[in-house]
Amino acid sequence: MKKLLLSALAALAGLALFVFVILSGEEVPRSVNGLCSGLGGALLGIGGAGLLMPLLMRSMSPEDRKEIERGETDERNIYIRSMAAQDSWYWTLVLLWVPFVAALIQGELLWMILAPALIVLHCAFYMFHMYRWSKKL
Amino acid sequence: MTNRIAELRKAHGLSQAELADAVDVTRQTIISLEGGRYNASLLLAHRIARYFGLTIEEVFLFEEETV
Repeated sequence: MKKLLLSALAALAGLALFVFVILSGEEVPRSVNGLCSGLGGALLGIGGAGLLMPLLMRSMSPEDRKEIERGETDERNIYIRSMAAQDSWYWTLVLLWVPFVAALIQGELLWMILAPALIVLHCAFYMFHMYRWSKKL
Repeated sequence: MTNRIAELRKAHGLSQAELADAVDVTRQTIISLEGGRYNASLLLAHRIARYFGLTIEEVFLFEEETV
């Protein structure tokens, strides 16, 4: 119930932000409009999903519902999720070199700094979580 | 590692969904286990073996990998 209420509040807040953006028009700076639109979209998405999921679950058969609930803690699903996360980590790491090399060729200073900074951060997060998990297990 | 899950399940007249229900995993996990695409954790192996009233070694067949 608490989760549903929070979802409804988030969706309403998102809608309110959209209404604000539409009504304010050119009266507020574009950056405020952009921020409100982005935040509104995110809140509407999170809140909407939180409201729709219970409805979707209710429309399913008890067997399907049970299967979905079980899927959350199913060990094969957990394994799939961790393997997918690991693979996407490597893919992102490799792909981050593309904007870096492109920036070197184009001579774009901002991307020359930003791309390697992201690569370093990406690896730093990995190290941090390795440490965190080594302490946990 | 191979296993006798499909053989034991059929011998007990169970569907994949019923076995999944009994050992608290999804039907897809049973399908993958039977197909040999996924190796069960020690906990799940224990649950499956206990369900059939057997030991882990009787359900899961470990084969030494020869180099």
